[in-house]
Amino acid sequence: MVLEIFLVSILAGLVGALFGLGGGIIIIPFLTLVEGVPVQLAVGASLVSVVATSSASAATYVNDHLTNLRLGMFLEIGTVAGAITGAFLAGFFQGPNQAILFILFGAILIYGSAVMLAGRKRDSAPAVQADGLASTLKLSGDYPDPATGVRTKYFVSRAPHTLGLSYIAGIVSALLGVGGGIIQVPTMNLVSKVPVKAASATSNFMIGVTAAASASVYFLRGQVNFLLAAPLMIGVVAGASIGTRLMRSTPPLRIKLLFAILLLAIAADMILQGVTRYR
Amino acid sequence: MDLNRSVAYALRVGVAIGAALAAIGLGIWAAQGFDSSTALGNYTLGNIVAAALTGNASGIVYLGIVVLIATPVVRVVLSLVYFFAEKDAKYMGITAVVLAMLLFALFSGRIA
Repeated sequence: MVLEIFLVSILAGLVGALFGLGGGIIIIPFLTLVEGVPVQLAVGASLVSVVATSSASAATYVNDHLTNLRLGMFLEIGTVAGAITGAFLAGFFQGPNQAILFILFGAILIYGSAVMLAGRKRDSAPAVQADGLASTLKLSGDYPDPATGVRTKYFVSRAPHTLGLSYIAGIVSALLGVGGGIIQVPTMNLVSKVPVKAASATSNFMIGVTAAASASVYFLRGQVNFLLAAPLMIGVVAGASIGTRLMRSTPPLRIKLLFAILLLAIAADMILQGVTRYR
Repeated sequence: MDLNRSVAYALRVGVAIGAALAAIGLGIWAAQGFDSSTALGNYTLGNIVAAALTGNASGIVYLGIVVLIATPVVRVVLSLVYFFAEKDAKYMGITAVVLAMLLFALFSGRIA
């Protein structure tokens, strides 16, 4: 069992690091469906591994200047506030209400995926200049892309919209147990016109904070099992180091296309979960 | 002080210590014939440290988990110190708000 968890966590770390997602989408179904681990323990162990994936990959991306630190810290106001709000709303979103939310967000993610697929020939249409808040907060960034050798400079547009959507992403991740990165990456890319690689790296940087807060709650409740957490931590760190390497060598448009496909699969799963819960 | 380098360094060190402790704990647990009767049932920091010091496998892994969970929080604190040193009032405010909410969530347990 330990060996299987280790192998799957390498894949989870790779996918999490490359797409800014954390990797819970792979670990939780694997632990519950294949290994028969109770959901609470699976989530507790998965959250610890998300902190590991996020921190390990962010260390590399921050060093590579791929992460937009200022944008990440600014948007964390939204995600952390959203996660706290979500915890307070959790009582209301049970049963049919939670099922409807699953279906609603699945539909929104399909829309996000469709927009990304329609624009797959070109990474975010670059914003021509930073507007209001983005300019006040110096959110513009630039990063050297080792795959193309091009130094990409970009402006961040509609920062208040993206902050608002980060808040919603925080609430949704608290209510549905879906990592915020799923919403965070398309929002940064489509709304704020942040290039997909920078969006993924910045999302990776941000999710560690909310995952750490959630993980501590599970930990204090005794819902983090060391026999699950230990192989996961080691595996995702190994996987993340492969993922960060792939990020360097993969062209941005391929990452965008793969992300859109992944998004579609997750959306379908959310709708399915909603339908099953509603019954 | 360069923000990118110090943040990257803090994250790398936290992950390395956490993963190393997890690997050592797992190794000891395997060497002791996968005996789960020694696993810690009580999760206070004092208990974890005490157990880890006696070479208890689960204690060492839990210590690694504590270090790992603390890593992103340390990263936020470090950023706050940086913006303070740079006299960047806007980002000091932003980071302080994030840290305050994070500490509220950690200590009130009100987060999913």
